[in-house]
Amino acid sequence: MNYAVLTELLSASIRIATPLLLVALGGVISELAGTFAVGVEGMMLMGAFGGAVTALVTKNLVFGLVASCICAVLPAIIIAVATVKFRADQMVTGLAANIFALGFTSFLLRALFGGKAPVMVLPTIGAIHIPWLSQLPIAGPILFDEPLMTYLAFLLVIPVHWFLRHTQAGLTLRAVGENPEAAFSVGANPHRIRMMAILACGVFAGLGGATLSLQELGTFTDGMTNGRGFLALAAIIVGRWMPFRLMWGCLLIGAASALALNIQGWGLPVSSYVIQMTPYLIALAVLCGIGRKARMPAAIGKAFIRN
Amino acid sequence: MRDGALRNKEEKDRTAAKDQPADSVSVSDSRNGSSDFWQRLGLAILAIGLSFAVSAIFIWLSGKNPLLAYWSMLGGAFGSIDSVAFALNKSTPYVLAGVGVALCFRARVINIGGEGQIAVGGIAASWVALNCSDLPGVCLIPLAILAGSGAGAIWAAIPAAMRLARGVHEVLGTLLMNFVGVLLVSEALHGSMGEVGAGFPQSPLFPEQAWLPPLIPDTDLHIGIILAVVAVVVCHFGFWHTPWGFRLRLIGSTDKAAAYAGVSAARGVAGVMLLAGGLAGVAGAVEVLGVHYRLIQGFSQGFGFNAVAIALLASLNPVAVLPAGLFFGFLEAGALAMQREIGVPSSLIYVIQGLTMIFVLCALGISWRRQRV
Repeated sequence: MNYAVLTELLSASIRIATPLLLVALGGVISELAGTFAVGVEGMMLMGAFGGAVTALVTKNLVFGLVASCICAVLPAIIIAVATVKFRADQMVTGLAANIFALGFTSFLLRALFGGKAPVMVLPTIGAIHIPWLSQLPIAGPILFDEPLMTYLAFLLVIPVHWFLRHTQAGLTLRAVGENPEAAFSVGANPHRIRMMAILACGVFAGLGGATLSLQELGTFTDGMTNGRGFLALAAIIVGRWMPFRLMWGCLLIGAASALALNIQGWGLPVSSYVIQMTPYLIALAVLCGIGRKARMPAAIGKAFIRN
Repeated sequence: MRDGALRNKEEKDRTAAKDQPADSVSVSDSRNGSSDFWQRLGLAILAIGLSFAVSAIFIWLSGKNPLLAYWSMLGGAFGSIDSVAFALNKSTPYVLAGVGVALCFRARVINIGGEGQIAVGGIAASWVALNCSDLPGVCLIPLAILAGSGAGAIWAAIPAAMRLARGVHEVLGTLLMNFVGVLLVSEALHGSMGEVGAGFPQSPLFPEQAWLPPLIPDTDLHIGIILAVVAVVVCHFGFWHTPWGFRLRLIGSTDKAAAYAGVSAARGVAGVMLLAGGLAGVAGAVEVLGVHYRLIQGFSQGFGFNAVAIALLASLNPVAVLPAGLFFGFLEAGALAMQREIGVPSSLIYVIQGLTMIFVLCALGISWRRQRV
């Protein structure tokens, strides 16, 4: 493997990891507050849809990004109300929201464009060369020659980490995920905090979806997230609910996908479908490897009932 | 509008909950009393009604008349013998897979791997149908179905083993296995099982003796629906009237009670996952042998999640899975007619399904306070 292939591979890993990382950062906020983030797949799909359609109509990237967040918050609101107010099962509610998002985007895509799904070709967000840093050997083309959302995603890890570890709001949020009764007894409002966390998760997942439709693929098709939200959930577990560690989880899955894409070009006698399985298989293998060492937030999945 | 409706429902459910004994976890209690039955039925109808109402708003916003759309849906579902046959065939895999999911949920195992289990069940049945074509139909069809159920059970056993041995949550395990299972179908069709020169990834047509015989002559309705009814009856009996079913209910209610009674939760989880996987595998086999007569790429799409929606609509009661599954089958048949005649995209049914699930979950969340699903 020569130098150019290696830099290309690493650079692609980072690009592919970007939407996963954004979604995983949102998911970790929701899960640390005590709500399983199974609905991120649907939020991501809504975000990808809202971003692509708005960017297509307005020809404006910023509007697209804003719209992706707004669209993704819609299923987040449904999940928040159902799980927090109605104490619905979090896992299955998340799945229901995913089904809803799949149908809703597919329905709207046709309804908005007169009965037929349009073939979208959007200009993708291009790479930004950071002056002189992108000239560095090896690190330059890998780290400092990436598109906008990639920088954003990796920079966001720092404030999310800071928020969860070092601010009062973040600590209260985690307390709600560990022991809502105790948090309630010292004046926190677990219901409100959990709902806010799910909405925040929606915003992040929406940006992740927009990254997929506006930066990576430049189009929207039915069900285009194709399990990426679930891979992000796997990355959260791999990262044991810590922002910096889950970043490595996302990069691992990104590297597996990038390698899979590259292998197809090398003409090895492996079919493309087997290669497409690799990210899922790697996620499963890593989850098995971690096993019981992963400790979930103690109160995750349990509804808080105010007496 | 939806918030208002939900609030109404919450009030209704609160008053209903008062009439019930407070401990919803006791095993003997969850036998359906008659008032309980009407309550569950009312809940299901309310959830369906609400989601149709919300979907009507979406249809109206898209510039079509929702009443016309629903009318054509009704006609498409029940209008002719052919459409009824189509709907019943659609329901068959849903009911088969849904019963398994309902039992899993009852044991607090969230098995959402129906899609992958159906996919590999279809592959195994197709392999038998294509490679054992010397056998007469009476042997070939049962063998193919058996192969399908075996493959489905194996596919379910993997996430079950991962949960029991390594503590990997079955939701992620089954979900990720779905993607692998669906890709396996493509791989099989890409490789040795594919038809050479076909424009679409599909296998050659099965020999005619492997086709499921029609239930009513001159219609497309095949005998799969009988299998589905048998599966529902057996699971109902097994769940309510056998020691095995009692153990499942015990595991589902409280871990402590189960452990105290000497019931192994691990064995229960493994058993119910295998059963659900096997049933989903049968669903896959029935779909390829009875509807397509060949293996087709993506034939299992959406089936697994439908099964979850159906199990929920049935309040996780095995016998209620049959009407719930039939409802979804007819809904799908109707939606295709609606798309053809009125131009409302048929993907609306996923909106209806998702909303129905959410409404049912909200109501369940209120009425079964402590219990998970």
